[in-house]
Amino acid sequence: MNAARDLPRLGAVLAIGAMALLPMARLPAFYDSFLYLVFFWISLSTSWALLSGFAGYFSLGHAAFFGLGVYVTADLTTKFGWPFLATLPVAAALPALLALGIGAIVFRLRRLRGELFALLTLSVTFVIATIILNTPIDGGGGIFMSAVPLPDLMPTPTGTIYLLGFVLCVITLLIAWKVVHSRLGMGLFAIHDDEDVAEAKGVPTLRYKLTAFALSAGIAGAVGGVHAMYVGFITTSGIFELTVPLYVVLMSVLGGARSWFGPAIGATVITTLLYAFISGGEAMVGRAIVAVILISAILWLPEGFVPAVKQWLARHRRAPARAPLAEVAPVVPAARPVSDTVLLQVRGATKRFGGLQALGGVDLDVRQGEILGLVGPNGSGKTTLINVVSGFYPLTSGSVSVAGVEIGHLPAHEIARRGVARTYQIPRPFVNMTVLENVVLAATFGMEDSSPFRWGGGASPLSHFVRKWPIRDGGVMDDSSDAAHDPSVGVKRRHLPRRRGRKASEIRDEALHWIGFTGLAGKEDVLPAGLNLHERKFLELARALAARPKLLLLDEVLSGLNPAEVDNAIRLVRAIRAQGATIVFVEHLMRAVVELSDRVAVLNEGRLFALGAPRDVMRDPRVVSIYLGKAYAA
Amino acid sequence: MVEGKGAWRRRRVLAGMMGGAAALATPAIGRAAPSGKPVRVGGTLSLTGFLAQTAVIHKISAEIMVEEINGRNGFLGRPVEYVLLDDQSKPEVARSLYEKLITVDKVDLIQGPYATAPILAAMGVAQRYGKVMIQSSMGIPKLQTYDRAFPATPFGSEPNVTYPNVILDCLATFPTPPRTMAILTSKFPSAQFMALGMKEQAEKRGVKVPLYLEYESGNRDFGAMAARVKEGNADFLWVGSLGLESNLLLEALRKLDYRPKNHFHLYPAPGPLAVSPDGDKALCSTFLEPDEPFMSRPGMKRLAAEFKEKATKANLPYTTIDAQACGMAAEWQILEAAVNGAGSLDDAKIAAWLKKNKVTTVYGPTRFDGPYNHGDAAQLIKQVQNKEWKVVWPKEFAAPGVKLIAS
Repeated sequence: MNAARDLPRLGAVLAIGAMALLPMARLPAFYDSFLYLVFFWISLSTSWALLSGFAGYFSLGHAAFFGLGVYVTADLTTKFGWPFLATLPVAAALPALLALGIGAIVFRLRRLRGELFALLTLSVTFVIATIILNTPIDGGGGIFMSAVPLPDLMPTPTGTIYLLGFVLCVITLLIAWKVVHSRLGMGLFAIHDDEDVAEAKGVPTLRYKLTAFALSAGIAGAVGGVHAMYVGFITTSGIFELTVPLYVVLMSVLGGARSWFGPAIGATVITTLLYAFISGGEAMVGRAIVAVILISAILWLPEGFVPAVKQWLARHRRAPARAPLAEVAPVVPAARPVSDTVLLQVRGATKRFGGLQALGGVDLDVRQGEILGLVGPNGSGKTTLINVVSGFYPLTSGSVSVAGVEIGHLPAHEIARRGVARTYQIPRPFVNMTVLENVVLAATFGMEDSSPFRWGGGASPLSHFVRKWPIRDGGVMDDSSDAAHDPSVGVKRRHLPRRRGRKASEIRDEALHWIGFTGLAGKEDVLPAGLNLHERKFLELARALAARPKLLLLDEVLSGLNPAEVDNAIRLVRAIRAQGATIVFVEHLMRAVVELSDRVAVLNEGRLFALGAPRDVMRDPRVVSIYLGKAYAA
Repeated sequence: MVEGKGAWRRRRVLAGMMGGAAALATPAIGRAAPSGKPVRVGGTLSLTGFLAQTAVIHKISAEIMVEEINGRNGFLGRPVEYVLLDDQSKPEVARSLYEKLITVDKVDLIQGPYATAPILAAMGVAQRYGKVMIQSSMGIPKLQTYDRAFPATPFGSEPNVTYPNVILDCLATFPTPPRTMAILTSKFPSAQFMALGMKEQAEKRGVKVPLYLEYESGNRDFGAMAARVKEGNADFLWVGSLGLESNLLLEALRKLDYRPKNHFHLYPAPGPLAVSPDGDKALCSTFLEPDEPFMSRPGMKRLAAEFKEKATKANLPYTTIDAQACGMAAEWQILEAAVNGAGSLDDAKIAAWLKKNKVTTVYGPTRFDGPYNHGDAAQLIKQVQNKEWKVVWPKEFAAPGVKLIAS
């Protein structure tokens, strides 16, 4: 038994037990009621944050799911005679199913992100309210629940309501905590920052969003079921009012919508403030004061209270001695020749955007261990080909296979899990994640097979970095050790969900390894905004490498770098290639193309124009002509 | 009926009425000022939120009444302190605040909040603690299932039956009584409740209802409904409206060049409808207006004058006392009469006294011994005449020189 670890847990369990039994103390009923309302708002705002805070899908429709739960309980108890407690699972399930139904349609449409999603969810509220109002579910007269018996779980009815609200609150917070500490949470945070990139890194975005939406709606529904009993008289105008979504948004934003605990802080603060000015003589002034406090808080703490406190603590915490930083890998000669086995096979790849044909039937083979330079003038289809192979764009026709497996019509995350990783011409890091978190995500969701680099076989020439990386004195960090909470590195163990077959500490070690490999050591805690372009490009590389891909697609990784940085990058690509990696890289810098490529493919107007050894291709007058014009070619 | 329950009962009723009337009529001068520990009466009103515009009327009225009561003899010779909290127009907040008033602030007595949902939320709390709760704005009497909850407004126990018949009686006096009626109503519970009753009673009395439409509370687009009304061209239009909905509907009808022959509105904003050209001759529900014979009721003149003064100070758009303000005044009149009549602050004794006695309020003699503690219905009909509301039906309550005008 680890006392240091178990004591806080024991304390938390005891505190939760004591809180649950609070009504036994027979405090004045108001305190039970007030605390119930705090729990009520904590549950609602936290459940909202599961989708909207974590994944960034800003919903204004929380009242729909909450209200549906209210009416499920109200109708089942008053019209069908169900016992109150028996209605709660239904009150949770129906909104969850509704959310799944809505999400299954809406989440597939890229144009329905952002404000359109907010408006759509708001309209769902109106639709649900209208249906309920105009059907026997309510019919307009409201539902009076005074005759519904409340089970005697506590000495008083208010105590029973308190207990139910508390239990739901604890369950909600546990779910939120669990989500944040799981692959799901990491994937949702990535979706929040850049959904397309998250998908390309292997995050099953649709499934994750549906899960978050269903959890969010289910909790709201269950909360609604309990609240029906608390309010007693249910009307559509009272239940589906706009203040519900507005309050949950405000509470979540104030506390920190990306934190599992932030909305709880926001809900507690706002509910308490609302009760601080309840005297009849100061009602209006009180509202104004509350508004000023909230506006000030949001202005000064735009990320929310919890993140602000964390940042403050981080600034004031004594910086621990940092271990020596890893070096950029030395250039290692090619360990093995290019194999004859075809890893990537593209046949008749066609991509049209309406009337515009970006790819017009490209045939291309890339052999295992090869570096293929992909060049061509602007608009020739290079990036489109990368996007098609990585699954960002679906093929119009044709086929793409990797290691003999057809991937051309798979979603991007499935392609990523089959060993295809890519970088972006303009770096697209997850902006709210540190460097380490960015790379950990890629390592977590990357290629399914947990074996180390396949291309190198056996011990990687770079494995010495893993050994050299001084995570802790005495060796690689142990998953269960206190080292997992080492503040010297921004990502603690809680951000390192276990991946199938691998411990969180292994994932973290791997991420640190690639950070060191790409020369970003010492930047682990830095957000992407704190990196220069060169470093952001290398972060792209680190993320791609951490996925341990069979096939690496590099899209203009050298563009925008100065000559020294280009040299550094070329050394890096060589180091990767030295392990037998298969790389397709799009590049305009011909020096790099010639130095790095085994073969060069030239695209022009969406078709394969030339293919061969670098120097031969670059001397081909036809290639020169499409780059510089016919006069130069002659 | 009180008269049928024995002489002892009659004497108590008379005593209650005389006591209440005397208390209201007698000026403060010459009375001993109340002294001692204040009697704390707790209550909430929706001072913020979507009900605030109406609740502020109740607040002004309550302040006037507390001043008046303290200007007399308070409760049992002790001054009265009104502990007023803001329920933010939310039933859940109303519930928690009544729990606060009763279990933390430990007020001696409570008064009801404003509007049906907060009232029902508060009623559950009152019931758990055995407190008497008097309320003035719950339009569905059958929901008042708590034995110690009392209405201050004389809806009667079945206003969905009694009031439609008052309207039908009134319409029967028209030179050409309507034979068809169009009913439009908000789905606001109390309005819908009355609309369904109107439909049922009209059909019972041979008036056809070819058009019955419900709309969502707060609706602002009446174009389509106006077209249906015009198309139906019924002899009478009954509107279960709240706030400005009547103005919006009549405006939509005017845009279609249609003016309903005769029209009734349930709970409209009184000021805007009275001054609107569309509102001329509109009929509406009421319990009293600042005219005779109501102004001769005990305390009414002073109440109307003080209300005008305070409402003007508070920048209210409509400063004439109306049924809303009088509802709260009646609550306090009933509580004052009951406490002093029972000679106790004990809720059980107060409730028992109320069930056995009539109290004269600004609404007239009010009793509480019927179903759901309701007494006789006293809903009247008023009409916009020269941009002012005037009671026109029943005739005995019509303002001097005022007659019902049929279009």
